[in-house]
Amino acid sequence: MLDIERLSAGYGMVPVLHEVTLRVKPGEFAAIVGPNGAGKTTLFKTVSGIVRPTAGSIRFEGRDLLAVAPAARAHLGIAHIPEGRQIFPSLTVLENLQMGAYTEAGRRAWKENLEKIHTWFPVLAERAKARAGALSGGQQQMLAIARGLASSPKLLMLDEPSMGLAPVAADEIFERIVSIHESSGLTVLLVEQRVAEALHFADRGYVLEAGRVVLEGSHDELKSNDRIRQAYLGM
Amino acid sequence: MMLGDWRRCWKGKRSDERAQSTYLTASLSPREGGEGERSKARAAHLLRSGEKAGDEVIAVSQFVENFLQALVAGLLTGAIYGLMCVGLSVIFGVMRVINFAHGDFMMLGMYVAYYAFGVLGIHAVFGSTLGPYVAALIAGPVIFLAGILVHWLLIGKVTGMRSSALRSEGHYAQLILTLGLALILQNGGLYLFGSTPVSISTPLASNAWALGPMYRDRIEVFVNQGQTVAAFIAVVVVLAFVMVMNRSRLGKSLRAAADNPEAATYMGIDVTQSHRLAFGFGVAITAIGGGLLASGTSFQPYVGLEYVIVMYAGVVLGGLGSVSGAFLGGLTIGLVQQMSTLFLPNQLQNTAIFVVFLFIVLLRPQGLFGTALRGT
Ligand SMILES: Nc1ncnc2c1ncn2[C@@H]1O[C@H](COP(=O)(O)OP(=O)(O)OP(=O)(O)O)[C@@H](O)[C@H]1O
Ligand SMILES: [Mg+2]
Repeated sequence: MLDIERLSAGYGMVPVLHEVTLRVKPGEFAAIVGPNGAGKTTLFKTVSGIVRPTAGSIRFEGRDLLAVAPAARAHLGIAHIPEGRQIFPSLTVLENLQMGAYTEAGRRAWKENLEKIHTWFPVLAERAKARAGALSGGQQQMLAIARGLASSPKLLMLDEPSMGLAPVAADEIFERIVSIHESSGLTVLLVEQRVAEALHFADRGYVLEAGRVVLEGSHDELKSNDRIRQAYLGM
Repeated sequence: MMLGDWRRCWKGKRSDERAQSTYLTASLSPREGGEGERSKARAAHLLRSGEKAGDEVIAVSQFVENFLQALVAGLLTGAIYGLMCVGLSVIFGVMRVINFAHGDFMMLGMYVAYYAFGVLGIHAVFGSTLGPYVAALIAGPVIFLAGILVHWLLIGKVTGMRSSALRSEGHYAQLILTLGLALILQNGGLYLFGSTPVSISTPLASNAWALGPMYRDRIEVFVNQGQTVAAFIAVVVVLAFVMVMNRSRLGKSLRAAADNPEAATYMGIDVTQSHRLAFGFGVAITAIGGGLLASGTSFQPYVGLEYVIVMYAGVVLGGLGSVSGAFLGGLTIGLVQQMSTLFLPNQLQNTAIFVVFLFIVLLRPQGLFGTALRGT
């Protein structure tokens, strides 16, 4: 579904990503882990078109994504839930969801999606009329995810959804993501600092360090890998 | 001229000096010259007719009358200022760029209304009572297209949306671009329209409704008909725009792009397009305000410079980027301007605006109404 090939990107003159190759298959739950500053967010932004690559290619369902304007990429079925939530604070919760449904697909399936969203995140139904900026951190993260789901995406890209949340709230978010993936079969690409959990649920994992993929493998391969066990899982 | 004439009763005529042109160039202020003498005459009349009215009573009722007159003029003027401020604030709210050429788009709106009225036959079709307002509304779509074009050809070219590092560079470029645009529009206007002041003549502008006489014939307030209709239209346009911003998908997407352009892009919103529309709406709204002013005051191609002060002050007062705040800010500026004439000579109207403006920026930098950097 998402094929990233030898992708290099950076900010201005500062290179961040170096020939990153990464694949996400339809229906898969893929995870990217790595230390701070490894370039995980930069990779996501390049997929979404906010950062321009210097080399390499990105394909989405076989289509050359780099030839598609940034704002048009959401319409192809990519939902990017950015790091730090980035909800629209002055819009209401419901209006945030409506902006999620800005895509054609999202508009057509608005009613069903909203129903599903409200069963997954009941608090968003309760606070539908509240300004999104007034929500708690955990609620804002739920809104950010729900806003992504409202577009009827084919691929859900989540950038550190647990960041800045209390452990309980983070667990809740995590559990919700897994259950959404399992119940809807939605393809998920997750960036996470909580390596143990991420690798526990992922079908496939990538380790990104200093802008390079240093390790990749299936769930079982990574869990039994000595380097992962030492560096990330503390075993 | 036919429709309005029969309404020119003697009271209406008398109000000519009073209520006409209480806009910025209030050279014909009601509170000068003939006005005072007339009240004195009235007071003398009251005394002669046996009323036991003391000097203080006369002075107080005189002040109350002037106060009410300034209040009315301030509200009517302020409604149009409010409309113009809404235009500027939309552009700032969505694009985070100060449009230095904003007053000059207002000037263009005035000339569009002027030529639509006189040359393009609005006068012939709608007459001189309704015509000026139709012409003012026509300025909206015309300047909308002009704004879209200017953004497409110039301003949009220097938007650095791609990465946050580039965004600030785009900002400076846009600032300078609008500054240059202001000069081009002023001088282009001078070349095209000439420097002779013009105005749209409408009978309503020199007619007034009289409130009163009240309080035993001591207080009488005149409400200029032209300004009242203009203020009404201004309020309707603002309300319609607020509805569009709050209810429609388009309006919500503009607010989303204002809140967080990066996240808006992730939603599939084309932020450059949002900016273009916001610029178009912003200049169009202010152009309607200009069109409404065009039948109360005379203007020339540099008229925009006089009003940018009003607009900036109103927008800052209202809290940058808030639509309803901008309207209230503009209304406040109108009131301050007219009220100041109670205590200060007319030439100091703008000084009064600035003083109030400075105080508010010092004491309440987020603006009087609402918080800074919010949507509507
Ligand atoms: N807007 C920017 N301009 C310049 N450099 C940037 C910018 N954003 C990030 N960087 C740099 O790019 C590198 C990678 O950052 P990135 O945010 O992609 O890392 P990350 O893996 O997401 O880290 P984290 O786990 O902290 O979110 C870092 O060295 C960072 O300093
Ligand atoms: Mg990151």
